[in-house]
Amino acid sequence: MKQKEDNVLYVGIDLGTSRSSVCSGNGKREWIESYVGWPKDFISQKVLGKKVLFGEEALNNRLSLDLCRPLERGVIKEGIEKSEEAVREIIKYLVQSSKPSSEQKIHAVVGVPADTLKTNKLAIRMAVAEFVHSLLVVSEPFAVAYGLDLLNNSMVIDIGAGTIDFCIMHGSIPTEEDQKTILTAGDYIDEQLFSYLNEKYPNSYFNKNMVRKYKEQYSFVGPGKGEIQVEIPVEGKPVMHDITNEVKRACESILPPIIETTTEMIARFDPEFQVKIKNNIVLAGGGSLISGIREYIQNALKEYGQCKVTKVDDPLFAGSDGALKLAQDMPAKYWETL
Amino acid sequence: MISVFSRKRDIKLRKNILKGVYEDNLRIIGKAPRLIRKRATFSFKKTALLASVLLLALILNGTYLDFPLINENEMAASYSKKAKSNTSEDYSAFLSMLEQKSTYANKESGALSDYKAFLNISQTSLSKLFGLKVKTIMIDPGHGGSFSGAIGKMGTKEKEITLDIARRLQKRLKRNGRFNVVMTRERDSTVTLKERVELAHSEKADLFISIHVNYLPSNPMNIIETYFFGPPSDEKTLRLAEHENEAAQYGLNEFKEIIEKIGNTLKYQESRQLASAIQKNLYLNIKKEDISVRDYGVKRAPFLVLLGVDVPAVLTEVSCLSNTHEEIKLNDPSHRENIAYYIEAGILDYLNKGEAIYEAKRR
Repeated sequence: MKQKEDNVLYVGIDLGTSRSSVCSGNGKREWIESYVGWPKDFISQKVLGKKVLFGEEALNNRLSLDLCRPLERGVIKEGIEKSEEAVREIIKYLVQSSKPSSEQKIHAVVGVPADTLKTNKLAIRMAVAEFVHSLLVVSEPFAVAYGLDLLNNSMVIDIGAGTIDFCIMHGSIPTEEDQKTILTAGDYIDEQLFSYLNEKYPNSYFNKNMVRKYKEQYSFVGPGKGEIQVEIPVEGKPVMHDITNEVKRACESILPPIIETTTEMIARFDPEFQVKIKNNIVLAGGGSLISGIREYIQNALKEYGQCKVTKVDDPLFAGSDGALKLAQDMPAKYWETL
Repeated sequence: MISVFSRKRDIKLRKNILKGVYEDNLRIIGKAPRLIRKRATFSFKKTALLASVLLLALILNGTYLDFPLINENEMAASYSKKAKSNTSEDYSAFLSMLEQKSTYANKESGALSDYKAFLNISQTSLSKLFGLKVKTIMIDPGHGGSFSGAIGKMGTKEKEITLDIARRLQKRLKRNGRFNVVMTRERDSTVTLKERVELAHSEKADLFISIHVNYLPSNPMNIIETYFFGPPSDEKTLRLAEHENEAAQYGLNEFKEIIEKIGNTLKYQESRQLASAIQKNLYLNIKKEDISVRDYGVKRAPFLVLLGVDVPAVLTEVSCLSNTHEEIKLNDPSHRENIAYYIEAGILDYLNKGEAIYEAKRR
């Protein structure tokens, strides 16, 4: 069902709260942290040598930048002008990363957090439209589901940084009722871990960036695989700190709302379909990398009957791969009017 | 064999989903999904043609007089919590309150003109029926000059907040490039309600959005509500209308004349839809920042500024100055920008939902 045109480059973009990625028809794959930074003044611009910085580079130079994470908490909000500009910059960067040739038209599908799609869909379209010839905007979990052929009787739980998006697929495009968003996601783990560590080690200095890196490196739920020790300077001397229990507590803090929302959403369906959906739950997003999370959710849901939870192989690109597949499958006549 | 069937089913499923995605995106950009049916079969076109001819025949034969009046149940679907009642009853109640019951009764119970009966077809919005478009949007920042409106405990004035939000909204809508956006006042000046209405006429406005900030002296909560013209559903609304009408300067005779415009069904339908779209966008978005905000929904109220304007007109109370926390937030430019953004989203939602857009009937 793929309809290919020689002079068209199909591009799938996953615009996430924490990371954004792009996959294009010519095989290019790229991702960045969803941070955009503009030099604060003339001197910073001269030192950095760029008008705008992205991702890790922006984070590393954050002291000399006006840093913006445009989709924090899943919607374009605080200081709207700047957030919209940041979305534009990220899209521009990702589209350029796909290296289209000058004569190629770009047809793009962009996956965004479900809440962004509800409240900022027009803003997102306007931000993206200037860099592509034709554009479709969809919700992230839907793009993941499409990419994995989970079109019927399945549920995708996309555990992101700002939000966790739930999406039930039942053979048609999911409605607002089939999608739900909660805010206790990756950033919430960071906040919890930050407060637990400060409570346990009041004399050590942690910043939010360090805490986020600990989470990404050591996160786990359920029985752990040993102690987690990190080195932090205290009064100038490097000291080892045991953070095992704090990491576990912080990561497990997001689980009760996930279980609750999952059972609530499934319960809306006919019992026959409930069984099918429960046996086809897929975890996606950066949060699916938390060690032990799949097993934990599966065990917790077993209280409500037989169920099977799996996770995507490549959470970083699952959304953009799905978006690319959508772009390639979309009939050419539909692209014309968009 | 089974795998062939399953593959065919899969392809069909996929096609439906792709079509759904496409139609969803068309709606976002304000195009009607029906555009994709351009290549519909001849039989479909024939059916559509036949339906149009039948409709025309119905109208010409006067059968349309049997069609139901405006469906008030649609109102129940909005946020409004008022009791169900039909339109003419509500209007009568309102007019009796103004001691003009007899005049109105004659108009409504007498021979219903063909034109009016036609207006009462409930199946579709009239703007959609006539393919009307919005060209000029008029934004009305409430109060101004010697009328400060509500004043918060920290001294924040309603007239300043409404002007700032209106300016931001104007800027946002202009960026859209599709509309001419005008304001009833550009600075802190006294503009009477009558002058505002006249401005809307002279600028040939197609939509009229009046921005206000609420004040609840006896209650510290934060509420959002949006009004369009109609009889009030409760006493509190009547008091609020008295307050907002303070700079009216209308003579009784002129008032009688404009009250007759109440029969403008087109305006009624469209105002209600516009109010719903703005209220929904304001409430749902602000609730994300402030869980305690209360949704007072879409209401009808006899605000003169809404009555005098011929085109779809709403008055939105975007916040509540009596709530100190809200007063602090209103002093933050990013909060005001957000409010402008949500009103813009409401206006665009309304315009997109209508598919064909609206250019008001002007007198």
